[in-house]
Amino acid sequence: MFLLPKGNPLFENLAVSKLNLPDVLTKLSNGTFTGYASFIFQSSTAILVFEAGKLVSVLVEGQNGKREAGFEALSALAELMVTTGSGALNVYKLSKDLTMCIHALLEGETLYKAQDLKLIDINSLLKKVKDDQMNGCLRIYTDEHSAMIFYKDGNPLGFFHDGASDIETSSTESQKIAGLPGAKIDLFSTQSADELMDSNLLEVTNIQKIWDTSVALHKSEIDKTNLDRQEREKKVVSMKLAELENTVKEIVGEYVGRVGRGIVDKEISDNGGNSCLIDADGTEKFMKGVERAAKLLVSGTNIKLMMEKLSAAISIGKSEF
Amino acid sequence: MEKFFELLTQMNPFDLVQVIFWGLAGAISFYFSLGNARVWTSISIGFFLIFLSQAYGINPWAHYQKLTAFHYIIGTVAIMTITHGFLEYYVFCRTFEISGNKLVVYLSTLGVVAISGFFLIINPTPSPNTIRNFKMVENAIWVFLCVMNIEIVRKIYAAIKDSDISKGFIAFGIVFLCIFVWRGSDLYLQIFQWDKDWQDIIAIMTEETSDIEEYIVRVQLSQDVSRYAGLLSGVSVGGAFMYMYRLLK
Repeated sequence: MFLLPKGNPLFENLAVSKLNLPDVLTKLSNGTFTGYASFIFQSSTAILVFEAGKLVSVLVEGQNGKREAGFEALSALAELMVTTGSGALNVYKLSKDLTMCIHALLEGETLYKAQDLKLIDINSLLKKVKDDQMNGCLRIYTDEHSAMIFYKDGNPLGFFHDGASDIETSSTESQKIAGLPGAKIDLFSTQSADELMDSNLLEVTNIQKIWDTSVALHKSEIDKTNLDRQEREKKVVSMKLAELENTVKEIVGEYVGRVGRGIVDKEISDNGGNSCLIDADGTEKFMKGVERAAKLLVSGTNIKLMMEKLSAAISIGKSEF
Repeated sequence: MEKFFELLTQMNPFDLVQVIFWGLAGAISFYFSLGNARVWTSISIGFFLIFLSQAYGINPWAHYQKLTAFHYIIGTVAIMTITHGFLEYYVFCRTFEISGNKLVVYLSTLGVVAISGFFLIINPTPSPNTIRNFKMVENAIWVFLCVMNIEIVRKIYAAIKDSDISKGFIAFGIVFLCIFVWRGSDLYLQIFQWDKDWQDIIAIMTEETSDIEEYIVRVQLSQDVSRYAGLLSGVSVGGAFMYMYRLLK
């Protein structure tokens, strides 16, 4: 993601999880804010550029370099804010002209892209910028370094390079990078700041609706995840209960004979299903019922052995829940 | 008490042995009913009642005709109670449902016996012929319900044959077979009017004649079968309960 000049910081490192996008945008808009707001997430970064309270550009860039702008970017930002538990908001106030240049960098017209500096006549290019009274940003970079020169009406407003926090008046760093082998340039141009004032994304998008949709979508996803988890847990519980029921049937069948299974079925049904095997009260009733029925079929000695075995099996079964 | 011992000395030794065996069987079955599950109560109480019905021979007041009739009624109640118990056991084997409590069984049996006594009290003193009718009805019910109980016991055995006590039901099957032969041979004699009671009645009360002399062999055989099967019944009931007690211990 771009490193941008910080200008005058209004807020830094505000926890995004506590923020509401429509509120943030409304506050910045009502305060006729000029500058940019950056949302830093672990996997993405979003930049929102404001000119006198008007949202002139939005850009969201993921770790993989994928970029989204405009309405898609606002939706992506809302989704990131809702779904990501972490993230920080920084708000920097900039001059109107610099803000225009930032806009150019983010969403301006690309005149040159990854152009090898050796293959172009840089002096002619700078002359053209001046002659055309261009508004925009010239980015000079190598794999390791990057610097930007912001222009207004063809005149440099300032220089900015990675490692710096704010705009500088000296071109030394930019010239240094331009002299490095493999240096390339990007050139972005934009309309004048006054013309930019004609567009306001906040007017053409219903940010509250985008936010509400994201919140609702996230909630439904959480609900679905919870439901899936509950169902999975229920399935696991029901499988374990079925296993325990089968163990109990085998024990009773071993002592009582084949009617033993029927006795267990009947007692389970009388006590509200096989969940009674993991409920203290239900287990007591179940055991009493089985013992009462077994007394009609099995000797006292075998009943004692059977009940001991049943208690042990049910205790082990219970411990697994 | 003197009269009681006098009666004992007057009794046919074979009948006396039979009553003693029924006494033992009754005591064992009653004891069995106390320490076991509710379903056994009806069965054991029923077998205990057989002893009461058979005890008229040693009852010092048995010459009271109403009391004699009462013995036969108790005999009828006995087999009905036993059948009720085995039916309940069969229902348990199919549904595993156990309901009611012992006290209700004791009180209900007592109630039925009391109502029977009341029935005898409010009616005229039964003649020897009426008493014979009571005995015949008792035997008919016993024969019919023995067949039914043999079938129920077979079904119970089939349902629980791999349990500890299944063999006990084979013992009960033998018990009912013995009782069927005992009561059946007695009923046979009554139906053809070859029984001792009928012979006594026609000897002193009517001018009817009997063809008993023509069938003396089969009459004798039936009488012997009845006596030995009666004795065997008492022994088998006591044995069956002792065996069952051992299986359930």
